[in-house]
Amino acid sequence: MNRNKGLLLLSSLGVLALLVAAAVQENILKSWRRIQGAAKTEAGPVEVRLRQIVVPGLKAADRCVSCHVGMAPGESGILGPRAVAAHPPLAHDPGEYGCTACHGGQGRATEEADAHGAAAFWPEPMIPLRYAYAGCGTCHTHVRVPSQSALERGRNVFEQLDCLACHKLDGRGGTLRPWGVGGMEGPDLSRAGAAGGGVGWYERHLEKSQEATDGVWKTCFGAIEESARADLAVFLASRVGAPGLVEAKALFHTLGCRGCHKVNGVGGDDGPDLTRAGARDPGRTDFTHVPGEPALPNWFAEHFRDPAKIVPGSLMPVLGLTEEQIDGLTFYLLSLRQSGFPEAYWPKDRILADRFGEREFAADGATLYGTFCAACHGAEGQGMRYPGMPVFPAVANPDFLAVASDEFIAGAVERGRPGRRMPAWGEKEGGLRAEEVRSVVAHLRVLGGVSAAEPDPQPPRWAEGDAQVGERLFGAYCAGCHGATGQGAESPALNNHVLLSTASDTYLARTIARGRRGTSMEGYGDASTVHPALSAEETEALVRFIRTWEKAQ
Amino acid sequence: MSGQQRPSSALQDFARNLRQAPRRFLETVFRHGPPRTDRTRSTFVFGNVFLHLHTARTHRWSLRWTTTLGLGLVSAAAFVITLVTGILLMFYYKPYPDAAYQSIKDIHFVVPTGQFMRNIHRWAANVMVVAVILHMARVFYTGAYRAPREFNWVIGMGLLVTTLGLSFTGYLLPWDQLAYWAITIGANIAQSPREITDALGITEWADVGGLQRQLLLGSDVVGEEALIRFYLLHVMLLPLLLAALLAVHFWRIRKDGGLARPAGADQRLGPPPGDTYPVFTEAPQKTYQLAAIVRGRTAAVGNGPENTLPSMPHLFYAELGVFMLTTLICLALSLWIDAPLKELANPNVPENPAKAPWYFLGLQECVSFSAFMGGVGIPLIVLVGLGLIPYLDREDKGTGEWFGGPGGWPLVRRAVLFGLGAAIGVEALAIRCGWLREWFPDIPQLVITFVNPGTILAALYAVFSLFEVRRRNSVRAGALALFTCFLCGFVVLTVIGTHFRGPNWDFFWSPADWPKH
Amino acid sequence: MTAEARAPRSRLDPEPVSRRDFLGLAALWAAASALGFALIGSLRLPRAAVLSSPSKKFRVTLPESLPAGQAFVPPGRAVALFRDAEGVYAVSLICTHLGCVVKSTPTGFECPCHGSRFGLDGTVAKGPAPQPLPWHKITGGAGDYVVDESANVPQGTRLKA
Repeated sequence: MNRNKGLLLLSSLGVLALLVAAAVQENILKSWRRIQGAAKTEAGPVEVRLRQIVVPGLKAADRCVSCHVGMAPGESGILGPRAVAAHPPLAHDPGEYGCTACHGGQGRATEEADAHGAAAFWPEPMIPLRYAYAGCGTCHTHVRVPSQSALERGRNVFEQLDCLACHKLDGRGGTLRPWGVGGMEGPDLSRAGAAGGGVGWYERHLEKSQEATDGVWKTCFGAIEESARADLAVFLASRVGAPGLVEAKALFHTLGCRGCHKVNGVGGDDGPDLTRAGARDPGRTDFTHVPGEPALPNWFAEHFRDPAKIVPGSLMPVLGLTEEQIDGLTFYLLSLRQSGFPEAYWPKDRILADRFGEREFAADGATLYGTFCAACHGAEGQGMRYPGMPVFPAVANPDFLAVASDEFIAGAVERGRPGRRMPAWGEKEGGLRAEEVRSVVAHLRVLGGVSAAEPDPQPPRWAEGDAQVGERLFGAYCAGCHGATGQGAESPALNNHVLLSTASDTYLARTIARGRRGTSMEGYGDASTVHPALSAEETEALVRFIRTWEKAQ
Repeated sequence: MSGQQRPSSALQDFARNLRQAPRRFLETVFRHGPPRTDRTRSTFVFGNVFLHLHTARTHRWSLRWTTTLGLGLVSAAAFVITLVTGILLMFYYKPYPDAAYQSIKDIHFVVPTGQFMRNIHRWAANVMVVAVILHMARVFYTGAYRAPREFNWVIGMGLLVTTLGLSFTGYLLPWDQLAYWAITIGANIAQSPREITDALGITEWADVGGLQRQLLLGSDVVGEEALIRFYLLHVMLLPLLLAALLAVHFWRIRKDGGLARPAGADQRLGPPPGDTYPVFTEAPQKTYQLAAIVRGRTAAVGNGPENTLPSMPHLFYAELGVFMLTTLICLALSLWIDAPLKELANPNVPENPAKAPWYFLGLQECVSFSAFMGGVGIPLIVLVGLGLIPYLDREDKGTGEWFGGPGGWPLVRRAVLFGLGAAIGVEALAIRCGWLREWFPDIPQLVITFVNPGTILAALYAVFSLFEVRRRNSVRAGALALFTCFLCGFVVLTVIGTHFRGPNWDFFWSPADWPKH
Repeated sequence: MTAEARAPRSRLDPEPVSRRDFLGLAALWAAASALGFALIGSLRLPRAAVLSSPSKKFRVTLPESLPAGQAFVPPGRAVALFRDAEGVYAVSLICTHLGCVVKSTPTGFECPCHGSRFGLDGTVAKGPAPQPLPWHKITGGAGDYVVDESANVPQGTRLKA
């Protein structure tokens, strides 16, 4: 009897104690209560309550503003701990888009670790502050970028002309006021490209400068050359309020990453599709070999340093990038986080690209070559040799360009070399359009300094001759590099059916006879220490033999 | 009342009645005064709809802590706790994919007391499963299933299955990865009779498995239809079923003469303590007339008021105490460990390993050998076997005694050793050397279905208990051996499934050794 | 276990429970307060700490051609915006009677539920509505405005266009 009473008493007291503990935990100890308790406005302390931004269209209920009170829409003048500070000025109203759409993290959470996404089982942690503008990529999947060189030229002009004296750009500059203290400050140019304005700025500036009799307008502004103005225009058009991101993307488009990786449906297919690489779930990512914090930026950076160390068996070569380049690429990859937001939320750039097929990157031959070809064929078309991989051909070799017709090269680009690492770049496979392929070919001719191939009066197929003779010659002189059945080894594969169907006999014969200077392919029209000169008939027999593989397939 | 005096007017009556209404209201609620005498104490019990499931007096044997360990009460208390917290959670839960997950996040982060409620709900559900299993073991080991309590044992089986069903259906509701893939597996276990029908080539016109799965999911994938069905089962059908079975279960306890107690219980209890009132010092004023016209035994046979105590307050202190203790355990666990919630369900990326709730991991271990045998066959055999126990064991020696009195314990000890040894041995063999498919790649599925570590283990247990039946010349001994073995097998398989199985259901000594994705 | 306690008594007598059963009373009170505390906690649950309705502040762009005195109702919002010579103002479309959305007519607003009528400035003309339709705070300018449904301004307050 007393035992039962004792049991009841003790367990009831225990329950009471635990309930009180739970109540204290929930109603007093929560960190957002503490932070709000420490915040105040001039009118007095702020009301301590849960706050949130609800955006039904994005299915967001972002409670970030429970701690970051100063960032809640309509709040101003809140003082207190760092967390309650106001948001830096921004183009998008948080009341309209919430917080997580740009920053990632777990909007519904009310505890720091959960909200910032450091907790387990939250696939989308916050983007680190230093890469914050990568968040733009959630919606702005097609931020327009010029080529990197144009961007650099523009920036140089901008700096040289000292535009920063009057204008602000990404928080820099704008110290000089043309009418003295309190006078007009040049407009902030950080988002000049997004506004799309600036038409006629030069004329207006010039006019003011001519009107002025003294002061800054008179001394600081003068005539600008037309080419410099063009560079400036490109640079200003790229200022869309995402500092760093445009540069990072331009860098990505220079290093030829898309030669192997697809982004938004355009690119090679040797490597993984990167369209949503920045939205990768860290919980499903192997951080075993990544030093430092198990966060996505670290993974990307380490992966760029040594891909095979992070992903065993990776085909990606060690690119030998500088730390600055690695940081830029990491930035860009983090921005590849295309969301499933409804189309009503799509920005103009994405609609133009997705619905009207507009390219967001510069579509000149140099940029296209840099974007899609440079990683394998070299920035100058000189060919590349990565450890443990076959040689990538020197596509800007003058000897090659002299014998290869534009159609042949375009065919090689569009159809690729099935079975080899060269992917097909036609619109269906790699996403390049016919006119873009033509610009790439034209750019190759610029790189190689050969404006056109030598004319070929003959029909594509004319070689006759004895295939058996050809076979004997092939075994003696060619098989060592091209493989016994032309399957390719150190040198390109010759039995590739796309090569055989697009190459003319003239192309093959001339290549055999002249070779390619600067590569291991010698010209067999002349004798050397290791081989005699092949006669025209022997060359023809070789071509004939090579053609037998076409029939075999 | 208003005889000679001037009749009071109806208006005066009205005023007086209105004045007295509060007092009268209280009188109609608390009718019998403080429960200080035997009579008022009895009235207290049978005058209250919630308490009248109890007898007015309780035998002192039933009040001993070692008689039941309070396990049945713990189960019932855990049910009440899950019921209350579950109803509260329904204020915020939205049974629709994605929205379900978001609503759980909201419950966790912003609903007042929400996180605590969900934790309690989850932990009380776990406590309930543990308590129900232990309660079953207690009833078995004290022989409390014997006549006339056979049917209540069968009802108890029903309660066990319903409890597991409630847990299983609740598992899907958060709509996270854990839930999604555990339910995908569960639904495919429901489909596993196809293993047999496929082997017999009759699936086309007798697709029992497919039908079961379709009924469970309402579709061919785990999606919104499955979620709403699981929700319905979880908050409506199964709780109603459980409540109904529970009512029968309680009622049968009374009808079957209260808790089982050994024949010599009265002698062993000794004289009642001095501060309790001895009964039947006067001749009873009532006879049991009614007994003559009702068939069967009366509830009072063998259950006379000797050595009993008034249920109010003796039994109720104990019951309330156990209820509060259960609450205490659930609260402590809830404050200590949060209920899990993984990523939002993603039908394209399976969890690896996808583990069911822990109490199903023993089954999942069997399932890893054969979906049908592990998921349907063996559980069915175990349930039928358990249900048959009271009908096979018709002895009455040792009823109400732990392990049937002295001599039972050595047998149970041996059965524990054999049960653990056999389970670990068979598992070790299968883990180290593989099974038939690895040895004979062309072996037909039907052979594996019937000859796999799960069935071998069950057969070993059966042989062991038949051996004990012969050795002891007692069916009871066989039952003790078999039940103990199965309990041990359940523990071993559950521990292996919970702790030692990792991605791809491979064996690992510790979760720390799991490969990283 | 005194001799007195053992003396036979009638079953109808009270059991000699000590009137000062401290342990029992303490246990019962502890249980009652624990359950009471739990009940209070549970009752807090249904009152949501945050509401799932979207922000009461929204942006709106007024058409250039909006004639004076004609209501502009942004899609999905129960607010009518007007522009006249003196400026821009926003009138709530939620009937002050029982919350139906009123319909904008050339002469004012009509509530379809119980027949309340309001003038163009929101004053009650007829029906059960106890209060005029409130005017909401409006900020911004040059065609782009931000309306705050949670903040009211006195009737007649216009934002200079």
